[in-house]
Amino acid sequence: MDNNIAIQVDKISKQYDLISERQRHDTIRELITERFRSAFSRNGRAQTRHTFWALKDVSLQVNKGEILGIIGNNGAGKSTLLKILSRVTEPTTGSAVIRGRVGSLLEVGTGFHWELTGRENIYLSGAILGMTKEEISEKFDEIVNFSELDRFLDMPVKRYSSGMYVRLAFSVAAHLRPDILLLDEVLSVGDLDFQRKCMDYAKSLKEDNATILLVSHNMFSIKSMCSRALCMEDGKILFDGPVAEAIEYYERNSSKIRDLRKDDAHRFAVHLTDMTLSDEEGNPCYVFDHGQRMRIRLKLKATKPVHDPNIIVAFVRSDNVNCINFCTALDGFTLPSIDGESVIELLTPNLKLVAEFYTIHVVVRDRSFQNLHLFQIGPSFHIRHDLLNPHFGVFHEPARWSLCEDVSVRSEFSAGKGV
Amino acid sequence: MDVTVIQPSRGLFNLDLKGVWQYRELLFFLVWRDLKVRYKQAAIGVGWAIIQPLLTMIIFTIIFGEMAKIPSDGIPYPIFSYAALLPWNYFAQALTRSSASLVGDSNLLRKVYFPRLIIPLATVVTPLFDFAISFLILLVMMAWYGVAPTWGIAALPVFLLFALMVALAVSLWLGPINVRYRDVGYAIPFLVQIWMYASPIVYPVSLVPEKWRVLYGLNPMAGVIEGFRWALLGSKSPNLLLVSVSVLFTLLLLLAGVVFFKRMERTFADII
Repeated sequence: MDNNIAIQVDKISKQYDLISERQRHDTIRELITERFRSAFSRNGRAQTRHTFWALKDVSLQVNKGEILGIIGNNGAGKSTLLKILSRVTEPTTGSAVIRGRVGSLLEVGTGFHWELTGRENIYLSGAILGMTKEEISEKFDEIVNFSELDRFLDMPVKRYSSGMYVRLAFSVAAHLRPDILLLDEVLSVGDLDFQRKCMDYAKSLKEDNATILLVSHNMFSIKSMCSRALCMEDGKILFDGPVAEAIEYYERNSSKIRDLRKDDAHRFAVHLTDMTLSDEEGNPCYVFDHGQRMRIRLKLKATKPVHDPNIIVAFVRSDNVNCINFCTALDGFTLPSIDGESVIELLTPNLKLVAEFYTIHVVVRDRSFQNLHLFQIGPSFHIRHDLLNPHFGVFHEPARWSLCEDVSVRSEFSAGKGV
Repeated sequence: MDVTVIQPSRGLFNLDLKGVWQYRELLFFLVWRDLKVRYKQAAIGVGWAIIQPLLTMIIFTIIFGEMAKIPSDGIPYPIFSYAALLPWNYFAQALTRSSASLVGDSNLLRKVYFPRLIIPLATVVTPLFDFAISFLILLVMMAWYGVAPTWGIAALPVFLLFALMVALAVSLWLGPINVRYRDVGYAIPFLVQIWMYASPIVYPVSLVPEKWRVLYGLNPMAGVIEGFRWALLGSKSPNLLLVSVSVLFTLLLLLAGVVFFKRMERTFADII
């Protein structure tokens, strides 16, 4: 193998047994009764056994020092790939070769124990993540400084706030200095200030020429860290290339209506059967310029009449910030009831959101916001702008600025303060 | 440079014991964790390691020694039963904890790699700590009853290691089954109870008919307890046939247990 290659994945597949409620034998009694039942009925177990491929013939090569982003919808196989590379689970077929010490962070706080103190957990978690005792002792002060938790070090972790917990856990992980780091979504936790710290950590690893595989739903962190990205779906790699193109590919594909959560649908009285986005003129569109208006057409189907429905359309940014909600009850649009099929259209105001990737959530409640009749995730869209990104907040609206010539304003103010 | 090859594991005897050795420090940390956690919120803490066997010994002495008048090979009944309770309590604890350990650490199994054998290994090591404390009480009792230790005491670590191997061998079977079928968790208290009466704790081996001795040796704890009584109290030297049957059977169970465990660990993360 070429010395410059850190990870070589060769046709890896992973098959899972899809066990339905009825077939899951969690106790031996169930197993025995089930065996009896299948022995006496013609539908044997072999016939009802379902499997699915979480990964199918995935091949991949990652060079040393490369930072590779992995994007895709839930269930696309991203996490399974990381689990196999970190050796948590075995592939069904195929093989992979990894050159270098591997560190994997598939969750925040692996190995933490609630009863132990912060100090004890630093050692425990460090050891579980693969550090030697010597290494941990050496970096102990650094870890504590990074977490800014020196005052709480001898307190059991169960009394920590969730923010403190995450900070300590990540600080330990950040001092793991592997050649190859497998990261799953862990950057999306903690407050903004801490997130920035985590980014700095990832960048420092980059300077050390570490290889990083990053699974994230946050396009912003993928964009800012990776040079190359994979787009996965249904256990396969659909796109492998420069990060901007990969994200574009992902966004184009996740704009389809198939994103609706069909499995939840039967629980609610109302279903969203179709949803289209278009510009003001009605041309279908999934990329909007900052400041453009959007026309959204919802096709709803009610299985029983719902009175006084309150339809809510929410734009949720890829980092899970709910940015704006349109709501019939607040916007002064009244519908006495919906029954059977109805098509509803809304035209948004000029969208001043920052350039990012947004997903539309559709919710139907009643006027009092009490009952939930529908909750589904609809298509996604992109807002385009050269400059505005989440560093500029959620939306941008120009203010009116002026230079005051009358400087007495200031003195009046300070004089007023003196009274 | 470390090179890791990932592929579906094949073969029964691909045991990767070298990997376990490389992770020995983690073993230490897991033992340390279990000890810390155990005594964190218990007010009496370490005291339990004294109270538990002491009370059991008193109850046994009253019921079996005084009331049922079970013979004890000429040794005072309290010390006769305590010398057996020492390895038995260790074994019962190790077995119970170790069989439940994989399920207890399921969050680790799902999220991070290390040789899975480390988990049951660590949990059979932890109760050695309690054993050490209860052992001190035995020394006090021996002084009280004027039982002088013999050279046989040097063999004690061997019998203790033997008890550890028995506990490990059984939990290498029960642990993985517990991952799939939680019934094991309910069955273990019964298993331990039945096993206790099948072992020479409240009665001496001499009560077991001669012709059944070999079969009796298939209970490895019979060999362990015989060994303890001999090493500590200088009772008749252990029945060699019984002990060797015990040892052979345990080694077999242990080897098969490791193979079984390695075979099952492939799917731990997927089904736990």
